[in-house]
Amino acid sequence: MKKKNIFLIVCLFSANILYSQIINKEPLSARLTGYKIDVTLNPETTIVKGDMDAFWVNSSTDIVPDIRLHLYMNAFRSSKTTFYTESGGSPGRRESDPGWIEINSFTDKEGLDLTPGMKFISPDDDNPDDQTVLQVFLPKPANPGDTVFVKINFETKLPSNIRRTGYNDDFFFVAQWFPKFGVYEPAGMRYATVGGWNCHQFHAHSEFYSNHSVYDVSITLPEEYVVGSGGLLISETEIGEGKKTLVYRAEDIVDFAWTAWPGYAVFKDSWEHVDITLLIPGDRTEQVERQFIAVKHALEYLTENVGPYPWPHLTFVDPPAKGSGAGGMEYTTLFTSMSFYRMPEWIHIPEMVTIHEFGHAYFMGILASNEFEEPWLDEGINSFWEERIVDHYYGRNSGLIDHPLIKIADASYSRITYVTSPEKQIVSNNEYAWDYPLGTYSMMSYMKATTWLFTLMGIVGEETTNEIFRQYYKKWAFKHPCGRDFINVVNEVVTEIHGDRFGPDMNWFFNQTLYGTGICDYRVAGFQNRKLETTDEAVENTKSGDNISTDTLPEYRSVAQFERRGELMFPVDILIHFDNGDEILESWDGKSRYYELEYTGNRKIDWVKIDPEFRIRMDVNYINNSMTVDPDRLPIRRLTNKFISFIQFFIIIISL
Amino acid sequence: MQILKAIKSGALRAVITWKGVLIIWFSLLLLISLLVIPMKGALRSGLGNSMITEKLADGINIEVFAELGQVFSSLISFFASGFLLVLLAGFLLNVFFAGGLFGTLRGASGKFLSSEFFKASARNFWSFMVISLILSLIIMTLLFIIVGIPLGIVSQSQTASEGSMQTAVKITGLIFLLLLPILLLVADYSRAWQVSADHPACFKAIGYGFSRTFKTFLTSYPLMIIVLLIQILFGWFVLTVIPGLRPASGIGVFLLFLLTQLLFFIKILLRAWRYGSVTALMEQNPKRL
Repeated sequence: MKKKNIFLIVCLFSANILYSQIINKEPLSARLTGYKIDVTLNPETTIVKGDMDAFWVNSSTDIVPDIRLHLYMNAFRSSKTTFYTESGGSPGRRESDPGWIEINSFTDKEGLDLTPGMKFISPDDDNPDDQTVLQVFLPKPANPGDTVFVKINFETKLPSNIRRTGYNDDFFFVAQWFPKFGVYEPAGMRYATVGGWNCHQFHAHSEFYSNHSVYDVSITLPEEYVVGSGGLLISETEIGEGKKTLVYRAEDIVDFAWTAWPGYAVFKDSWEHVDITLLIPGDRTEQVERQFIAVKHALEYLTENVGPYPWPHLTFVDPPAKGSGAGGMEYTTLFTSMSFYRMPEWIHIPEMVTIHEFGHAYFMGILASNEFEEPWLDEGINSFWEERIVDHYYGRNSGLIDHPLIKIADASYSRITYVTSPEKQIVSNNEYAWDYPLGTYSMMSYMKATTWLFTLMGIVGEETTNEIFRQYYKKWAFKHPCGRDFINVVNEVVTEIHGDRFGPDMNWFFNQTLYGTGICDYRVAGFQNRKLETTDEAVENTKSGDNISTDTLPEYRSVAQFERRGELMFPVDILIHFDNGDEILESWDGKSRYYELEYTGNRKIDWVKIDPEFRIRMDVNYINNSMTVDPDRLPIRRLTNKFISFIQFFIIIISL
Repeated sequence: MQILKAIKSGALRAVITWKGVLIIWFSLLLLISLLVIPMKGALRSGLGNSMITEKLADGINIEVFAELGQVFSSLISFFASGFLLVLLAGFLLNVFFAGGLFGTLRGASGKFLSSEFFKASARNFWSFMVISLILSLIIMTLLFIIVGIPLGIVSQSQTASEGSMQTAVKITGLIFLLLLPILLLVADYSRAWQVSADHPACFKAIGYGFSRTFKTFLTSYPLMIIVLLIQILFGWFVLTVIPGLRPASGIGVFLLFLLTQLLFFIKILLRAWRYGSVTALMEQNPKRL
């Protein structure tokens, strides 16, 4: 009894810490979950072991009989897990040390053993060999407003084959490592019609979904390790025997990850209110400046066009080659980039990765949509912003690669991947992440979504697009919006700015792009300039309404023909250029299969372009978007010449 | 003095054989055109009357090539197989014409006869082929041993830093580059001996090449280094100037073509100069033959 009282006091004290303000003046989120974790890393056994006090607040009006937790690390337990089954049944090509998480004890706040009520469930695929979701029945159901406290002793064995998480030699990236609550969705939240846990298994092609939480994490490990995490370092204490304990605090983030490696060099910088820390291999320090510049670009651009970055701290990691499997991943206030020793300045891939992963702080971190069910809301939207930022700061046509011989815009990459994919029509863009047919997850959730977001921007304009995201952020930050919420914001902002110019709402756009499987392909079918032979014919053609001088009879009747070859229908601009230099910009609603424009006058059509500014980036073929009587062959000749020279020199060099 | 004399003599001999260089240039241009001109036609046909080529104004634009879809896939497979065939044919042509060059560079008679050039090419083809293949094999083996194996070891090491990989590349690359002139000397001496010997034999020629290289190492090696350095400087000049040139008119593109071909002609002439210098050095000490 006495023991129970002491434990209760400890629990309440812990909860008090978790609710307290250390970083932000006011809570940014509802903080329905919180974690106090005290662990030790043993680099020899590659096991992280310790205790966790955690809580979940039942903010719904439901009486909830159970809790559900993600045990992500069990995805690496055997080749029969859902994660490995979906990725081909193997942990990878190299021999792999498995990963797992064991619950040694699980009690409630009164010390009552909850292990008898524990069972593994597989809500997505009924896989009996998957242990990544744990259901725990509570001794007493949680009433509305109740806070459920749990105390767990656990040990996590890190896998050797790093796929976001694990170890390689003395490098550790510790992510998805502790028992983590699923999200209880009451009726009305996102698509829920009745209250229930949203706690999916760990899939090969999926990311995560969590409540915004408070974390107090204490990590004990050998002194020589340099540690970085998503939290703010509160204290660092040497505890003897060559070990130290680091205490971190993080608020209102959806995940807590950390890394430890003796070879990191630590650099610090700041941008406005944000202290930025970079952990990078000691011999890769020439990349430091460009990495800081990239992250500051992202902070600046997203703050201006989406909303403020609310945390005063940010840590990012450029992992060493042996930890490259941990590169390119996001944990809100911690993310990992990817660069290489002596990476040339004209390759902006490190900047691209840094900007991309930082951007997740907004769409995965602040907005925190469900990446299991609607991956496009994070990856698609984030890639859209990444490409805008990279091309804005590093060159409109050379954001990714900027070399005299070849230039590649970041925005080109996603569109090329989408338009050249033979699978772009086999599934809609609105599937659960693991339901995308094999090999289409990235193309669909990143590339297609990015491409139609650029198309949306091409239709409604850049400033309207920025306003959409500002409102989306303002309305839904820390509230887990779903796709429908995003569309509603688009509809509100577009009608507010443009009235009914695009119709009563933009649902027609999303029905085609997000929910549809069609492709877009507008084509110039041809154009003709016919000389009017007789005066009668000329007089007759002055009635066409074309703007000609009253004292001059038209000499030519010109017709330009257009075709919609794909299923998708978007409004498009058409630019007509005449031989006397005149240009006419026309608008076509893009709905009919065939469209014709006719002109009479003393001028002939020289060339015609559909979508001259390339705004409809979903158009799968830009070649047929224009036609001219005199195509410019110079670039091809120039390329051919250089190509000939290249082969000539190559042959002579390899010959003795 | 001996080196400068050989270099000067080599240059004169190379100039005298300019017609042979012209033949080599034209043959290679013709060969490469067999691959490139159909590709150019396919590209033009794929782009049709489109104005998308505007996107190529600043150089290669991968979006334009991606738009080509199936045409681009066909171009790539055509190029992949065609490129290998052209490389093979180009290698054979070089082996063939090297025989002619060494034959006409010999003795520095001051005259170039096309008939002699082709006769020497034909006569020496098989022996030069054996010499080229064996020396190429030795160079590749050396590359594997000196560069490939150490880099493989460093890249597999868990403890090696990323910088050590770069250091290994630099050190092994430098060692290889210092050894390469020796093998080029062996190849050149072998071929020079092969065309001048009373009883030529390719394996004997290789033996002679090695022996001659090491016996006259202090004169031969600096000569080869000087010649190669000038060739590297020329290559650097070409790589610096050509990619940046983007003529915007038809005449400009034609002039670019003439310029690149002139540079390629000079490149072959420099190769002939190397052959001539080694031949001259060999002829300066005939008793060592």
